[in-house]
Amino acid sequence: MKRTILSALITAGLAGRLCAAVAEDSKIFTPFFDMTLSEAAFLPSDGNIFSGGDINTQVGLLAKVAEKDHIFGLYNFNYVGQGFAPQDSRQFTDRSLSHNFNLEYRRIITDRIRVRPGVSANWEYRRTGANEVWKNGLYNMNSFGGQLAADYTFSEEQRGYVTAQYLFRSVKFPNYTDLLTEFQNPSPANSANVNGGLEDQTMGQFSVRPGWKQFFGGLTYTVQNYTNQKVVTETGVYGAKKQRDTDTALDFGFHQTLGIFELAPVVSYTMHSSNQNFMLYKSLGDTSPQFGAKYYDFSELAFGVPLDLNITSKWAVGGAVNFTRRAYSKRMARDADNNFTAAEQVNTMTTLTGSLRKRINEVAMVRLFASFLVARSNNKFEKYLPYSYTGNSFGLAYQLSY
Amino acid sequence: MKRLTLALLALFLVKGAAFAAIDWESKGMQLAGEVIANPAGFFYDFQQDLEGTTPLPPGKRYGVQMGLFPTLLPMTYTNVSAKVRLHGEGRIAPGVPQLDLIGGYWDMLAAKMATKDSQSVDSAKFGGYYVGALLSASVSPRVRTFWGYKHSQLKARLDFKAGQEPELLGTKVNSFDTGFKDDFFIAGIETPKGVGSLWSIQLNYGLGTQTISSKVSWYGKYFELGLNIYPEGVLVVHPVWNCHLNF
Repeated sequence: MKRTILSALITAGLAGRLCAAVAEDSKIFTPFFDMTLSEAAFLPSDGNIFSGGDINTQVGLLAKVAEKDHIFGLYNFNYVGQGFAPQDSRQFTDRSLSHNFNLEYRRIITDRIRVRPGVSANWEYRRTGANEVWKNGLYNMNSFGGQLAADYTFSEEQRGYVTAQYLFRSVKFPNYTDLLTEFQNPSPANSANVNGGLEDQTMGQFSVRPGWKQFFGGLTYTVQNYTNQKVVTETGVYGAKKQRDTDTALDFGFHQTLGIFELAPVVSYTMHSSNQNFMLYKSLGDTSPQFGAKYYDFSELAFGVPLDLNITSKWAVGGAVNFTRRAYSKRMARDADNNFTAAEQVNTMTTLTGSLRKRINEVAMVRLFASFLVARSNNKFEKYLPYSYTGNSFGLAYQLSY
Repeated sequence: MKRLTLALLALFLVKGAAFAAIDWESKGMQLAGEVIANPAGFFYDFQQDLEGTTPLPPGKRYGVQMGLFPTLLPMTYTNVSAKVRLHGEGRIAPGVPQLDLIGGYWDMLAAKMATKDSQSVDSAKFGGYYVGALLSASVSPRVRTFWGYKHSQLKARLDFKAGQEPELLGTKVNSFDTGFKDDFFIAGIETPKGVGSLWSIQLNYGLGTQTISSKVSWYGKYFELGLNIYPEGVLVVHPVWNCHLNF
């Protein structure tokens, strides 16, 4: 599932970022704290105004037990509230809350090579409204696993390094069931269909991330093997083959300061492939459902160009352009009557953001922002979720880090 | 701060055309529905506005606080909170953080007055309390972090007189009894802005109910201006005004 990949990418990114962020000084214990909170009001072209916030808090401690042995522990609390989301990802009203614990042992082999084995545990809760109880969320997820990373610094002066990492997770969705099966047959042969665990999977991810001066990039390959979920066949029944998803992602970016301008563009390309198909039932008693083979395969191009203008040492004016284009390779767009057409579905989302940032002191920063978003798709079936709409949002964000 | 407010106002004016498209009536109905679905949570948001969860400024031993807006007015939460410093930072041994005990109590005046004057309400009790402890330590000459725990409880109970019970969807309602109880973990930082004034940000997380709130505050000698954000609350942003005396 996309959510799992996102979580794993965040974990991988966190570990990578933190290995560079924490200063190596003479103290035995070095704490790390970073908190970002934002709250915004959203106004879609179709629908009423709503508000949503995001909170991301990281608390870490680096302990230098010996000259070449360090231990790093990190706790990450992440809350994602209501907000605009790319098409086919989640509803605007979805909100999630997660707790992530990461413990890593860092061993310096030579002054150029370092290895970092670690373990990680994650609990995530999701709900679609404030009246639902967090622990009963349909998409609640727990994941446990480990990772092994190696860093090689080939040039300290040029900040040249490369990091290779392999991570493994066992992911469980304790509440997720097949609601239709639950309704039709309360005690079927595959009990995971009604007792939770239908989306349980094991995930493996390998990534290589080089960096040179102000440039960075990476190649990431992820495999998700589902334990219980089977592939639906053309006849409309689940076959014997289990679902398997793979993701290949390439990303590249750089951070450049030119006088008072600060630029940090990033571009990424992801190819998602799954053996899962889809049966389109237009109504409950539909006797001629439409079959969508390889329904979840897509390739996605995304780029973002944030630009900050540092007017004074405290004030900065910023702007950003973000563009995402997802093209499905086998999924056909639907027309307004919920029938497949002959054209493959393509979704695009463009966001323009303007912001004003004030640095309060060496640890805190406040930002006011306003965004304009345009989402377009050739999928015209918008009875349940919008595919083509525009949206405005404005809000406040602050960040603390030391 | 003034510049930030003006900038925010400018942004609102620019977005003025967008406001014409908002359906305020259905938004109001949605908010009313959220209050009915979880009334204790709605009242508890106002209790969080009066809770004094920042440590005592360096050099102060005792503190008394009262929430003015939106707690005393218009919600009529008569309240009082106190803070006591057990030991200052580095006083017992170098590196030992400051330890403060915090606590407070509130009672809703409007509920008592409604009972006195009402013909249908027999008794009403809207009130709550909180107790907790905060540890604070400096990470640099201008930045102090604080961590803590608090236990909060709220009770909201309304009993109707026999024979005077109202009807809700065809059912007679004898009483209305709801409450909120949870243990919170607090984390934040503060930094001095001038002589006798500080600026602080904190995050409160309820371990049982997973209630999240964030408070930004400008803490002066006698008054505190704050902006409390409850992402999952009914009224998401509460501007807050409290007064205090520390000595």
